[in-house]
Amino acid sequence: MSCMGEVTIIGLSEYGLAAAPGVLLTYGLGSCIGIALYDPELRRGSLAHTLLPTAHDVAAIAVKTAKFTDLAIDIMVEELVKSGCAKGRLVAKLAGGASMFDTEYRSFRGNIGQRNVDSARKSLAGHGIPLLAEDTGGDYGRTVEFHASSGLMIIKSIQKPNKTI
Amino acid sequence: MRIADLNETQLDALREVSNIGMGHAATALSQMLGKTVNLRVPQVLVTDISKVPELLGGAEKMVVGIYLQILGSARGNILMIFPRENAIRILEKLLSRENSRGGLLSELEVSALKEVGNILASAYLNALGTMLKMTLIPSVPVLSFDMAGAVVDYVLVDLAEVGDQSLMVETEFFEDDEQVKGHFFLLPDTPSLQIILEAIGVLHG
Repeated sequence: MSCMGEVTIIGLSEYGLAAAPGVLLTYGLGSCIGIALYDPELRRGSLAHTLLPTAHDVAAIAVKTAKFTDLAIDIMVEELVKSGCAKGRLVAKLAGGASMFDTEYRSFRGNIGQRNVDSARKSLAGHGIPLLAEDTGGDYGRTVEFHASSGLMIIKSIQKPNKTI
Repeated sequence: MRIADLNETQLDALREVSNIGMGHAATALSQMLGKTVNLRVPQVLVTDISKVPELLGGAEKMVVGIYLQILGSARGNILMIFPRENAIRILEKLLSRENSRGGLLSELEVSALKEVGNILASAYLNALGTMLKMTLIPSVPVLSFDMAGAVVDYVLVDLAEVGDQSLMVETEFFEDDEQVKGHFFLLPDTPSLQIILEAIGVLHG
């Protein structure tokens, strides 16, 4: 990466915003997912690292947090629009949603990884944001770099070659 | 009960309970490896869920994670984390042969490590159950060899559903020459935390 901008690390259940040439980085997504939203005209985007599919299952939520996939998307859209992005220009990419443990366990919590992916797709559709690409599922962890200069997501895994979507 | 509201007596009680449980687990591991296994003083880690991967040495660190559910009178999760090099050392001792050199673990290696997890968790829960007069049974262990962040997020789901804080009772165990070491985490869910504190007699301070 010769001309990489400032790198911001996004922790579990957090989100961040970046403008070109900034980079948003999140480590070790398992059943969690990394959701990137991007305005290609403004070259500005956001990345979240979410843990739970939907806030609707949860009775009381004190604060809106990027812990939940659906809430994170709402928050990111709101923040991006506030920073000048047009909602109609936003596009999305997803990575993560793996099942880290053996198959017999996948049914345990109704495959939390898959439920995260489903929740993200549904929420994006609800906002009318096209999902351009995704690298989801499997049984391995992913580290994700999101480049605001290009809208590209680089996915790194231990046992696999890097992938760019 | 909110995790943040636990008082010093309750935290002490959790440390002590875990120390006894882990003592039994360490004895079992010592017998398996033919080496003395020592324990550090357990810690009760109350932290924001988003900070848990850092406690495991960083979200990107390669680890072997062995995960079991606690079934019975109290529910929760047990997670054992072995840094990659240490998992390999355990395998060398158990299987007495050349092991994988950094690639994927073989089926036999996965199975051997799960058995280690099973023995540790059973000894731990058995001691805990006897002390608390409750039945605690470990589920079948599952294993993942990957980045710490990816290994742990699944385990945090239960806790995240009820709050933003996690409570983990952590005990580090190590062999004298530090060739074998690992972390044992007990993550009771919130109702079970209450059940455990009640059984120890410190629910109300």
